Amino acid sequence: MRLAWLFLAFSAVATFGATNEVAEGLPPCCHPLVAQTNYTDQSLFQLESVWTSDTGRHMKLGGLRGRPQIVAMFFASCQFTCPITVSDVKRIESTLPENLRTNTGFLLISFDSGRDTPAVLRDYRAKRELSSQNWTLLRGEPEDVRELAALLGVIYKRDANGNFAHSNIITVLDAEGEIVFQQPGLNLPTDEIISQLETLSLP
Amino acid sequence: MSAPRQKIRLIVLALLTGAAVQAAEPDMARVSNGIFRPLFRSQTDLKEEPVKSFRLDAVPVTNEKFLEFVRANPRWQRSRVKRIFTDDNYLKHWASDLDPGTNAHPDQPVVWVSWFAAKAFAQWQGKRLPTLAEWEWAAAASPTLADGSRDAAFQRDIFRWYSTPSPVVLPDVASGPSNFWGVRDLHGLVWEWVSDFNSATVTGDARGDTGLDRQLFCGAGAIGARDPGNFPAFMRYGFRSSLKAAYTVHNLGFRCAKDL
Repeated sequence: MRLAWLFLAFSAVATFGATNEVAEGLPPCCHPLVAQTNYTDQSLFQLESVWTSDTGRHMKLGGLRGRPQIVAMFFASCQFTCPITVSDVKRIESTLPENLRTNTGFLLISFDSGRDTPAVLRDYRAKRELSSQNWTLLRGEPEDVRELAALLGVIYKRDANGNFAHSNIITVLDAEGEIVFQQPGLNLPTDEIISQLETLSLP
Repeated sequence: MSAPRQKIRLIVLALLTGAAVQAAEPDMARVSNGIFRPLFRSQTDLKEEPVKSFRLDAVPVTNEKFLEFVRANPRWQRSRVKRIFTDDNYLKHWASDLDPGTNAHPDQPVVWVSWFAAKAFAQWQGKRLPTLAEWEWAAAASPTLADGSRDAAFQRDIFRWYSTPSPVVLPDVASGPSNFWGVRDLHGLVWEWVSDFNSATVTGDARGDTGLDRQLFCGAGAIGARDPGNFPAFMRYGFRSSLKAAYTVHNLGFRCAKDL
């Protein structure tokens, strides 16, 4: 009798443990399918990775759903190309007609998981005068940065000084997080990106 | 009286612990720390990149193992996988979602898998993909030397493989000799994914869009190379930098690594 009780108690614990494991114990690769059926097949928003903004907020990329995003990767201490890329994106922002500007997000993601803390990103936002309504600055774990870069087709490598050699690509995501346009290079004209955004905002 | 008994106890304990470690990762080999000398580097890159000791799968992941993975993780089955994570050819040689069929033997290395799928498999096993530096360091070992560059016969064998097209029917894993670390098939079977395959800024095809330019252009490629005679390394760099993370290829597989 006592044994039976013990057995019951044990199986209750075991069952409880198992449910918990399904919810929390599995790595992000292996969560059940139901958790991510919301997004389209090509959406970057389905990534499970968790990022930290310059305000210290933790978020998934899915949190940006709802409006097109202009995406670039950078790092705050970059002396060469990133300042130009950020200027390029700012130029896109200032060229956009008012109604499009308020309906577009501008997303900067750091390569530099080690040095680009939320505080560093906050300083960067202030220094480059990036509006808080439109711009999101994120840092993530190295493996998640590697994955996102792979999805964006960005090549990068950390060098001996802790800086990053990287490709310069500006990506346009639609409101569902799918890549609709990419522009590699620096100091390029913005009209192509602007017209992409105009197309996206058509009803 | 108590000293010898304690000694025996210690030995038993050591044996048990050893057995436990063995049981935990029976198919992995320990690769000791070393120095990876990149074939290409920019002016600011290290000439020598230290590699910490790590564990590496002794053989590439097989169809059989990959079947276990997709069974346990339906979202990685061929008909269910999200297209952002693989191209349309994912596992195309399998008969169906859960049946590798006659074209994919259980012990053959799994191919037609994307970087995302390989990474998810590794994560599911509590492992990770090896870094480029780790893979190259492990692959530099000949059957008898950690630094196989001094082993002429080994270099000849590698050249032979790189100059021969992949056979129509891939050999099973472990068909090649074991190297210095006890790892097989790093050469001679399939290409393999590494975690930072998208880090080859110097040989990348992204000619217009990197900060590093000189060595990107055809012909100038060999100028920056450490060892212009190391043709297989050129081929690996070229191959890796032609890949995108969702690509799948008929002779591209992977194996997993783990920290010690």
